[in-house]
Amino acid sequence: MLRTRLDTGSEQYRDNVARMSELWGTVAQELASVPTIGGQRYVDRHRRRGKLLVRERIEVLVDPHTPFLELSPLAAWGTDDPVGAGIVTGIGVVEGTEVAITGSDITYRGGSVNPTTLAKAARFYEIARANRLPVISLNESAGADLPRQADIFVPGGAQFKELTQLSAAGIPSITIGFGPATAGGAYIPGMSDHVVMVKDRATAYLGGPPLVKMAIDEDADEESLGGALMHSRTSGLSDHLAVDELDALRIGRALVRDLRWQKQGPGPSGSGAAPLHDTDELIGCASADVRVPFDVREVLARVLDGSEFDEFKPLYGDKLVCGWGAIHGFPVGVLANNGILFSEEAQKGSQFIQLCNRSDTPLVFVQNITGFMVGTAAEQGGIIKNGAKLINAVSNSTVPHLVLMVGASYGAGNYGMSGRAYDPRFIFTWPNHRIAVMGPKQLSGVMEIVARNAAAGKGVPVDEEQLGAQSAFLEAAIEEQSTALFATGRVWDDGIIHPNDTRTVLGLALSATHSAPVRGASTYGVWRH
Amino acid sequence: MARGRPIDRLLIANRGEIAVRVAHTARRMGISTVGVHSDTDRSALHVEVMDRSVALGGATAAESYLRVDAVIDAARRCGADAVHPGYGFLAERADAAEAVETAGLVWVGPAAGHIRLLGDKLTAKRIATEAGVPTTPVAQIANGRIDGEVVLPAIVKAAAGGGGRGMRIVRDRDELDAAIGSASREALAAFGDGTVFIEPYLEAGRHIEVQVLGDHHGNVIHLGERDCSIQRRNQKIVEEAPAVGIDDELRRRLCDGAVALASHVGYHNAGTVEYLVAADGTVTFLEVNTRLQVEHPVTEAVTGLDLVELQLRIAAGEPLPLAQHDVRTHGHAIEVRLVAEDPREGWLPSTGLLEQFELAHGVRGDAGVRSGDTVSPEYDSLLAKVISHARDRDSAARQLADALSRSWVAGVRTNLDHLVGLLGESDFLAGAVSTAYLDDHPRLCDSGPDGMTRVLLAAAVALLDEQDARRDDRRWGFAPASWRNLRTMGARSAWTDDRGDTVQLELVRRGPVDAELLVGEWPEADDDGVLGSDERHLHQVRAIRADGSTLQLEVDGVAATVRHGRSDDAMLVATSGGAIAWRRVPRFPDHDAASADAGPLAPLPGTVLEVGVEQGDAVHDGMRLVVIEAMKMEHTIAAVGEGVVAAVRVAVGDRVDAGDLLVVIER
Repeated sequence: MLRTRLDTGSEQYRDNVARMSELWGTVAQELASVPTIGGQRYVDRHRRRGKLLVRERIEVLVDPHTPFLELSPLAAWGTDDPVGAGIVTGIGVVEGTEVAITGSDITYRGGSVNPTTLAKAARFYEIARANRLPVISLNESAGADLPRQADIFVPGGAQFKELTQLSAAGIPSITIGFGPATAGGAYIPGMSDHVVMVKDRATAYLGGPPLVKMAIDEDADEESLGGALMHSRTSGLSDHLAVDELDALRIGRALVRDLRWQKQGPGPSGSGAAPLHDTDELIGCASADVRVPFDVREVLARVLDGSEFDEFKPLYGDKLVCGWGAIHGFPVGVLANNGILFSEEAQKGSQFIQLCNRSDTPLVFVQNITGFMVGTAAEQGGIIKNGAKLINAVSNSTVPHLVLMVGASYGAGNYGMSGRAYDPRFIFTWPNHRIAVMGPKQLSGVMEIVARNAAAGKGVPVDEEQLGAQSAFLEAAIEEQSTALFATGRVWDDGIIHPNDTRTVLGLALSATHSAPVRGASTYGVWRH
Repeated sequence: MARGRPIDRLLIANRGEIAVRVAHTARRMGISTVGVHSDTDRSALHVEVMDRSVALGGATAAESYLRVDAVIDAARRCGADAVHPGYGFLAERADAAEAVETAGLVWVGPAAGHIRLLGDKLTAKRIATEAGVPTTPVAQIANGRIDGEVVLPAIVKAAAGGGGRGMRIVRDRDELDAAIGSASREALAAFGDGTVFIEPYLEAGRHIEVQVLGDHHGNVIHLGERDCSIQRRNQKIVEEAPAVGIDDELRRRLCDGAVALASHVGYHNAGTVEYLVAADGTVTFLEVNTRLQVEHPVTEAVTGLDLVELQLRIAAGEPLPLAQHDVRTHGHAIEVRLVAEDPREGWLPSTGLLEQFELAHGVRGDAGVRSGDTVSPEYDSLLAKVISHARDRDSAARQLADALSRSWVAGVRTNLDHLVGLLGESDFLAGAVSTAYLDDHPRLCDSGPDGMTRVLLAAAVALLDEQDARRDDRRWGFAPASWRNLRTMGARSAWTDDRGDTVQLELVRRGPVDAELLVGEWPEADDDGVLGSDERHLHQVRAIRADGSTLQLEVDGVAATVRHGRSDDAMLVATSGGAIAWRRVPRFPDHDAASADAGPLAPLPGTVLEVGVEQGDAVHDGMRLVVIEAMKMEHTIAAVGEGVVAAVRVAVGDRVDAGDLLVVIER
């Protein structure tokens, strides 16, 4: 049982709440702008055609009153692409089945594909595949954003491969066509197990009327070329002709029901009792400034069922808190940072990961890490080989990994704690999160030393003013590139969440991972002892 | 005349509320009960209430409750020594009374001879006149000639009639002969007796009746009068005692007349003498009901007597335990009949599963049904009588309206809301009642929960639906309702109430407890695609506490408790102030796959033999459109769903290929 030492009356707590609320406010504002990012004019035009916005379609598709966990909602933040990347991806419940849902937002540049769309879609398919979630695509896209084809054409082909590989893996795909599916986009229905097309609205063709005219001088009308009716009765591309959008969504739901999908994980086994400590205090648990340390157990005490935590090796390597608990009844092994990783922490972590793999227990990594320890003592103590053990264990572990970013994620600590490159099933971020190869101050400091050494080597004097300005500029730039929004914009995570929603989000994600078998690894890379 | 003897075991030859009510008194008196039931009533409440109940078989009344021999046989088998007929069925059948007495059993009612004598309206009129009962003159028909004076407007009645059959109102003398002819024919067909007579017709009169009791020792008393003016289709809906606004002189004439009539014939057991009293004070005697009346509880309430007990004592040969001067009345009682009929549909009977049936406490409820029963079309539509008793009429009306508004009936349509409206209506409260009351107050059909109650019941359905959905979510049931990390709208649902009005709701969660409920049409895009301004009413709602049968909620800061239940297709909610059975409007329109299609295709190659439609024709599902001959067989191509023919693509004699579009249908 975790006790709390959090003083909600303290200045520290109130400061944390205030600063985290401010950070969340910015995120919330960005989130609010996403559904109508196409602009009022295009939203109105869309509605004028009697169409639902993509998120409205999802509302109709999912079971009433069930949650919907949108993934990467702020993808492309801080890039040239629209925030959200012009598509929606997420996980919802349809006819009692957890499914991965994606839909294109045609109100932004005709639902065309941009480079971030590809990255977000790739992550979506990865999640669907790893967690064995049936995929529903709400399709309506003009295809590639042609002026940007150079960034899209070659990598864009992967989507179709993903779909058919999902199908080969026994994970069903359902595409509902609401609008155009042109050229490459036509392979979305083409590669899907089930296709529904909305009458008079959905089309699919490799080349539209203008291209057909150019290519073979044929005057073709839209319907004969690729209309829903034609595909439903002539080409056979469409399995179901829907009268309208609602009808299409109704058919989509029926298709899911008829999958008779069975989850392959064991599902929850605990009581799912609420934590003893208020989850609404999570917002004040983590320091808004990642340089201020906090006890990660305060987070665990507000996330784990009944605040119960059976801690592993509490007296050994105490900067990495390990132990067993449950979230909404789903058993988990937790690895949570309480500071820098030393050799003991790395060894403890790798042992714990192996133990959890033995008992088929999913892992939750709570990252607040400034990196592995450096220095002579650490190196001589074998920090590299011990860190390697942790990375070996993380890389070869086969139980689901969920990652929660509650503070810093610097250096190789990110890898040892199953960072994005280590294919965690899900990775969510708190608004205070900072991520980079190292802290901005350290990074600019390192660069300053390198510059001084170079100057000394050449025997030239250091231009202190210029070096100072360079360092300040670099520090500011790295600071900007370390934020949660920057990270989420690059699809380094699956979304920034409100700290108080952590338990809900991890519960939904854990439940989704149980769609696939939950099996631990028995083989690892060679351990360097 | 058979003298009674002690009764140990009573057979109650009836069903529904009266069987239950009679059994109740019998039990109190230490008399064991034997019921009878039809196959339809095998699980009815009255069967459960009886010590034993004998299956009579059959479904209809004729196959069961009306079978005198079967009833007597049942009494014999179970060792009953008396038969109480209740009202209806055998109650006013002289042959039944006779057969029961012949079988050596006690008939709890008047003698067969009295039933026969007074059952003929013409004879009853004659006796009434002899006994000095206030009435109007009657014109008889003898050899096709009218014998007596006819005062217009007049009413032609069948001597053997009842229930409005064989009755004609005549306002013009020219219509008289035709009315006599048709009434007589109808009476002959209905009762096997075409005798009719004519009496003055009292417009908008009041139906006032007097309860009499006589014993086997020559004592006859009255228990005061009842007003039963408010009727639909000549059947009473509201009854009260005493009659409002009549003076002591009139009351004395009516009551003394009733006693005089009963004494004149040596009547024993319970009976009711019915009058019609015109606005000008003219009184006409209508008939004598030789049985216990449905509305006897109002008399019981004001006199403090148990009429069934008195019936049983009289039948057992005991003298009346009280004299006329011992009869005292206190306060005012009102009874309403809760019937499975829809006042909005011209009192059309409603049958089916009674999903909820709960009468509020605090008033007397004589019910013949319970939740889960099926209301059968075979029998009377009366579900229950609800009776209030207070020190004055206003209080009784208020008490009764309140009790009814806290009662909960769902599954079949009833007059519950109508009754609540009626009991609060100003003319009723002013005592301006007459037999024309319901015709004069058609607006009562619109009665129902008021605006605030309706919002409360809408909020309840939204919250309960959400709770149900969360409970049924086997995957993510642990998570908050409609949780979103990016929210665009709330949870929408649409519901239709008992009267067919639809309400569109949107429940927007603000937290685990707090939510906003938007009531009104969901915003729709106009022709420019712009969403109209949101004119829905916004209410702050929160569920305070909930269990399997009640929900305590708060709407805009006002807390209330709602009882709830589910049926196959409805969410039943009730609170003080009314109840609604909300039926969910399906989330998705139910389209037939083929109805999305542009029209029928040729199923195989062939020759067109026949084309049954042309452009502009409306088509309906299954309508024959085209006939094709192929493989030496005729294939009929029929329409799927409704639509209009936009174009006919083929003509007789054309060759068609498989897949050719034959007729273009626009939906």
